[in-house]
Amino acid sequence: MLILGLESATAQVGCAIGGHEGVLASSHSSRGKRHAENLTPAIRFVCEQARVELSDISCVAVDHGPGLFTGLRVGVASGKAIAQALRVPMIAVSSLDLLAFPLRFANRRVAAVVDARRGEVFWAFYRPVPGGLQRTSEPTVGSPEELAAELLALPGETLLCGDGAVRYADRFDRPDVEVAGGDQAHPSARSLVQLAHAKALREDWVRPHEIELLYLRKPDAEINWSTREGA
Amino acid sequence: MILPPAPTSTTPVAVDAHTKILGIETSCDETAAAVVVGGSVVRSSVVSSQVDIHARFGGVVPEIASRAHVDLLTPVIAEALVESGLDGPDLDAVAATYGPGLVGSLLVGVSTAKALALVWDVPFVAVNHLEAHLYAALLEDPSLELPLVVLLVSGGHTMLVAMEHHGRYRLLGSTLDDAAGEAFDKVARYLGLGYPGGPAIDRIAMEGDPDAIAFPRAMQNDGLDFSFSGLKTAVINHVRKHPEASTADVAASFQEAVVDVLVTKARRAARQIGAKGLVLGGGVAANSQLRERFLSACVEDGVHGFLPSRDMCTDNAAMVASAAWYRLGADGPSGLDCGADPNLRLPLLTD
Repeated sequence: MLILGLESATAQVGCAIGGHEGVLASSHSSRGKRHAENLTPAIRFVCEQARVELSDISCVAVDHGPGLFTGLRVGVASGKAIAQALRVPMIAVSSLDLLAFPLRFANRRVAAVVDARRGEVFWAFYRPVPGGLQRTSEPTVGSPEELAAELLALPGETLLCGDGAVRYADRFDRPDVEVAGGDQAHPSARSLVQLAHAKALREDWVRPHEIELLYLRKPDAEINWSTREGA
Repeated sequence: MILPPAPTSTTPVAVDAHTKILGIETSCDETAAAVVVGGSVVRSSVVSSQVDIHARFGGVVPEIASRAHVDLLTPVIAEALVESGLDGPDLDAVAATYGPGLVGSLLVGVSTAKALALVWDVPFVAVNHLEAHLYAALLEDPSLELPLVVLLVSGGHTMLVAMEHHGRYRLLGSTLDDAAGEAFDKVARYLGLGYPGGPAIDRIAMEGDPDAIAFPRAMQNDGLDFSFSGLKTAVINHVRKHPEASTADVAASFQEAVVDVLVTKARRAARQIGAKGLVLGGGVAANSQLRERFLSACVEDGVHGFLPSRDMCTDNAAMVASAAWYRLGADGPSGLDCGADPNLRLPLLTD
């Protein structure tokens, strides 16, 4: 079974192909807002590198958020189109799960933190369990100060990852909190393929039109509307 | 160095009467897909309008539009393919509007079209939305001969374009401030007629007297450019001074002023370049009064006038697929590194 993974939730855009044998090929770029420009050529490149025809793909995985709205839609729209054309199922994985996944051997609590812009971050907590990580909180949006307050209330050490953790590192400057920078700043398409593979083995997939994006924030107009209506 | 988002054209691809193109349109608040054969035979054209979603906000909300496109596009494409009786691999190209429009919305269509082209191993064609509107008329009446003058009037644009050859246009005139459709929306909102403003004013104007109030006709005797912001202000001032004025009369008189200017300038443009045909395009072209006055002017002037059907005037994907047929034959496919260009202009000839 071959899985094509498309990841575009943050400033980085990535694509990977893999399956039982692990990740066969991947490509990531993070040079400015060029998700749509870079993603389609990357898919072709990764297929060539993996020596795979697109028609050999049996499942398309996408990062469905939370993250940059426009970036997310580029990846999800591309993924839905490919799955629709190939008539294969899809798997959606959260950007926060993807960020936490590479830290599964850290033996500490992990908090995945994605920059939500406008002074806010998306986050979720994970705890180490045999064979991986388990998410212990629902993905949420709030200020870095709100997250810092939650960290303060938690016993033991926490490892933070993601571009939100890096951007607001000064707010989380505590002895029992560490921020993993560098490689762990963006969710990767390699993690996506690996996590999607585990889901695919359980046939935990959906049809393209059933994919739902995890925005966690309403469009401004709707927020203004409900404020005005007193709802 | 930042590369421009413009599509990289390669060599022309031979197109003929059997070339089947899937077109995708997501530049504003319509999610549309269509299959057109040979540039003019519409095998299917599906449009899913988001008007109801945006109505309570009194205008298109970009983030809401983008969210709707990503949910609606897959089923809309599926329906267009089923209606056309064709399957993906039967197609010869996939086209999408890449500008002008709302960038988040455009990117959904462009990303989808590029991915489909990649899977089906066919060319991708990036289409200019304005150029697609110019082709809407040719799509329905292939007997139209060039040169043509197209009066393109929508919520975002008001322009007179000379179409001398395929892919070569000359801008004869355009609005200096508000687009005509924008004026309709703003006046409708002021009069409390709701959104979208065009159809609302069209409806209530039927019960009013178009000569009740003499609103200004800006620049009517002067060149081919337009200006509608003064008219909008004049309507607001009139209603403030005469709160008892009948809304139907105000709407009818306002509409009459817009139509007067549009028709006068379109005739002048056609005379000026010796056009063989005069056609109407864009969302405002669905206005009943404009359609009526436009056609009688063409008959009077002895020009081949053509009114696209209302479905073809508003945003749709058949016109995108049709324009793509001409583009593919003239310039070839676009690169898969194509992005969206929200401020894209018509490719104009300069003297």
